Amino acid sequence: MEGNFQISETTNLLRKIKEFTRSIVEDLAEGKSPEISINRFRNYCNDPEADCFCSSDEPKGREILTLRKRSQTYRIDMLLRVLLIVQQLLQENRHGSKRDIYYMHPSAFKAQSVVDRAIADICILFQCSRYNLNVVSTLNPFTLIFLLKNYDRLLVMGWLKFREAGRKFDCLSSLNTAFPIPVLVEEVEDIVSLAEYILVVEKETVFQRLANDMFCKTNRCIVVTGRGYPDVSTRRFLRLLMEKLQLPVHCLVDCDPYGFEILATYRFGSMQMAYDIESLRAPEMKWLGAFPSDSDIYGVPQQCLLPLTEEGKTIKHLYLSLIHCFSETDQFSLADKKRTEAMLLRCYLKREMPQWRLELETMLKRGVKFEIEALSVHSLSFLSEVYIPSKIRSEGSFH
Amino acid sequence: MEMSDPLPKLLLQLISSAFQRCRLAEDLCRLSLLLLHQSAGNDPPITSISISDTGIGCSLVEFQDLRCPREFNGANIWDGLLSLKTTCFSDDEVFCYHINLGECISNKRIKRQPSQPKNGAKFSGTEVSLSVFASMDALVAPIVTFFQKMLVLHLPNVTMDLVVEQGASPGTQTQYVFVMNGDQTPCFTASNLERLKSGLEDCVLRHGNCLEMMCEQCFSDREHLKVGSGTACPEENRKRPGGTMEVVIVISDLLETTRHCSRSCEGKTEVVYFDNFSPSPIPQVALSALKKIDWKSYGLILASVNDQEGHVFLEWENFPSYVQIQIALHWYHKKYPTRHKTEPGINLVKKGIKSALDDLKTKHEGFLLSSHSRKICSYVPDLARSLAGLIFSSTDMDFQGDCLSVLGFQPQEAEREAVEDYIQRKIVTVIGMNESKPQKDQEAAPFLFFEGGSETSHYEDEEIEGEYYSTSLE
Repeated sequence: MEGNFQISETTNLLRKIKEFTRSIVEDLAEGKSPEISINRFRNYCNDPEADCFCSSDEPKGREILTLRKRSQTYRIDMLLRVLLIVQQLLQENRHGSKRDIYYMHPSAFKAQSVVDRAIADICILFQCSRYNLNVVSTLNPFTLIFLLKNYDRLLVMGWLKFREAGRKFDCLSSLNTAFPIPVLVEEVEDIVSLAEYILVVEKETVFQRLANDMFCKTNRCIVVTGRGYPDVSTRRFLRLLMEKLQLPVHCLVDCDPYGFEILATYRFGSMQMAYDIESLRAPEMKWLGAFPSDSDIYGVPQQCLLPLTEEGKTIKHLYLSLIHCFSETDQFSLADKKRTEAMLLRCYLKREMPQWRLELETMLKRGVKFEIEALSVHSLSFLSEVYIPSKIRSEGSFH
Repeated sequence: MEMSDPLPKLLLQLISSAFQRCRLAEDLCRLSLLLLHQSAGNDPPITSISISDTGIGCSLVEFQDLRCPREFNGANIWDGLLSLKTTCFSDDEVFCYHINLGECISNKRIKRQPSQPKNGAKFSGTEVSLSVFASMDALVAPIVTFFQKMLVLHLPNVTMDLVVEQGASPGTQTQYVFVMNGDQTPCFTASNLERLKSGLEDCVLRHGNCLEMMCEQCFSDREHLKVGSGTACPEENRKRPGGTMEVVIVISDLLETTRHCSRSCEGKTEVVYFDNFSPSPIPQVALSALKKIDWKSYGLILASVNDQEGHVFLEWENFPSYVQIQIALHWYHKKYPTRHKTEPGINLVKKGIKSALDDLKTKHEGFLLSSHSRKICSYVPDLARSLAGLIFSSTDMDFQGDCLSVLGFQPQEAEREAVEDYIQRKIVTVIGMNESKPQKDQEAAPFLFFEGGSETSHYEDEEIEGEYYSTSLE
């Protein structure tokens, strides 16, 4: 059944691509300037009154690309290049990663971000997900690289069983073992769980700590980590779990701007993927911690409280810093304070989660940040035995 | 030879009048110039000049205002006397006159001489003779140049020739004949503008009409010339008689040979000006107009306008040396003779030039695009490749056939390269068209309910600001 559905999706998309090509060709043959209309999406804005409709998934305006402007012509050029590749992928029923596509014409594309934008434009144009284009975010699972497990972003453990492309994932049988999840989340099925809640943690180190402390033995839950900033597959998987299992979701991040950004991405989605937001966000996710106020309540020692940076780089995760060697955008050059101030302007915080906004303001006011591990200063298993269970029991997390 | 020398100027005026008479005859006419060197040994040398034409009879009006000093640079140049014989078709005799240009009192300038009988023969024509103290060599060059320019007007009914006789014996005679290129003769009913076009084309191909045939070292064939023409007429009123400004621009690509012949004026543009069917020095108003044209919107950057001895050259910045541009401007009144000749206004000249440039742009896609459009054109090959790719790589043969027939190709016979090429040309045409038709809806639509600021654009700028971790990880 699934196969048939996919085939018809592909046929549908191929038909749309042909119609699109045909209309441009017709325009040119008649001597008319072609126009490509692309919807604009955003998931937040900086309107101080929050008097906007960012919470709606509807497009917020349209851009019309023509050959009158150089920047638009360039955008059309990249779009057509990638579309040609996508048509071939769909016709041959193959998959390619975004990176693969970039490497097909690196001198023409010049940067990965250009390919990403073209893919987003195509998705918006044809109203589909990236998955429908047979484009995946990391490498094709059937290549050698797949064997290097480091490339899997998502780790999961706990009271969960599911299948993915026919393979069984039985986390239940080994509650404190991390299971990596491959990228084709669309092929996950038969999800079965006895958990009471889902816990999302920012860092792999915290995940490993919980595994070490056999957290899932004493707590009936599913623990997931995106190992830092969550990629599309992680967010998709979480969304899928939420839809299928209807369980509350708690998020545990460091008490710093980066952690908050991760929390916001899980909950509200990212601007870049705003066009596909429905399948990527976790709307009722609760913020378990760590709050700035927790440093007092749980007695975080002074030396663990680090100042928010004004300027300069902050490299939080070694893994991510390596990723940034390969990426074009230098994403760590903004300072903590500036980041926090920028985040405070987002309309969704004012409109939907004013309590979160309050905590963020406190963080800015105090001017300090701390990592989750700081809570373990009293005892190694403080996190798994005291902090998390008590917070969940007492509903101390904001929702 | 400096144009301030009055003798050549006088000669050219006389030739010009003769030419007008031929033009108006609307019949095949001949204009002949004879330069005869008088007996040797004279110092300064004496040359007798005879200008004859078989056009309509001459009206004496044109001699009323004709002036030429008898001295120049301290030397005697001529005696101021012209001998004129003229007759109209319907006249019974040939009228003869002596004209003294030095005489100020008008009724004493022209003295009638005994007429010559025609004995019933039906013809018309004029002969003007004079003798001057000048060597023939000094006179031949400006006359030849003048005739060469006259050819640009491409009037089919006039042939011109110049005979230079050094002495009595036949071996000392040189004859120059100026006739249009046989196979390109425009028909008699062609408009002045059409003739100017073909005339300028010929002139370009024959390097200013110095050669008899097209210069094969520099040009491959006539088809590679890009020609644009434009007209501008002022509004007629009682004060100003109607006039017409015609402009022709010819752009040629020289063959990519290592050396072009010395006559090609690589990288420079010559501007030729005609005033009432006569080559004339370019008036100040036209020079100003040339300087004021917005060349940038045609992708050209004007570096300088040089006026050298009556030849006007435009120089451009960053101009490829294998491209040549030639411009001809012709301002004329329908009626002849006009004593009150008017000059065109600067806006009229500009309008004519702009009209010719726009014509070029419309006829040749991707030509004379502004630098902005040319930057956009840099994406054209890529766009065409992707579009052709989308068509040819599709597994749906119906779709392929459909697209190819929309583009005007036979689906079975279409070759990818040809299709790509065609798409490229189409896109370039569209880009050129976009340039000439500015978008009408440049302003944002007014708000329906409230006076908001440009909120959407503000948010776009902010769009990525907060997202500082995302891109590569999505």
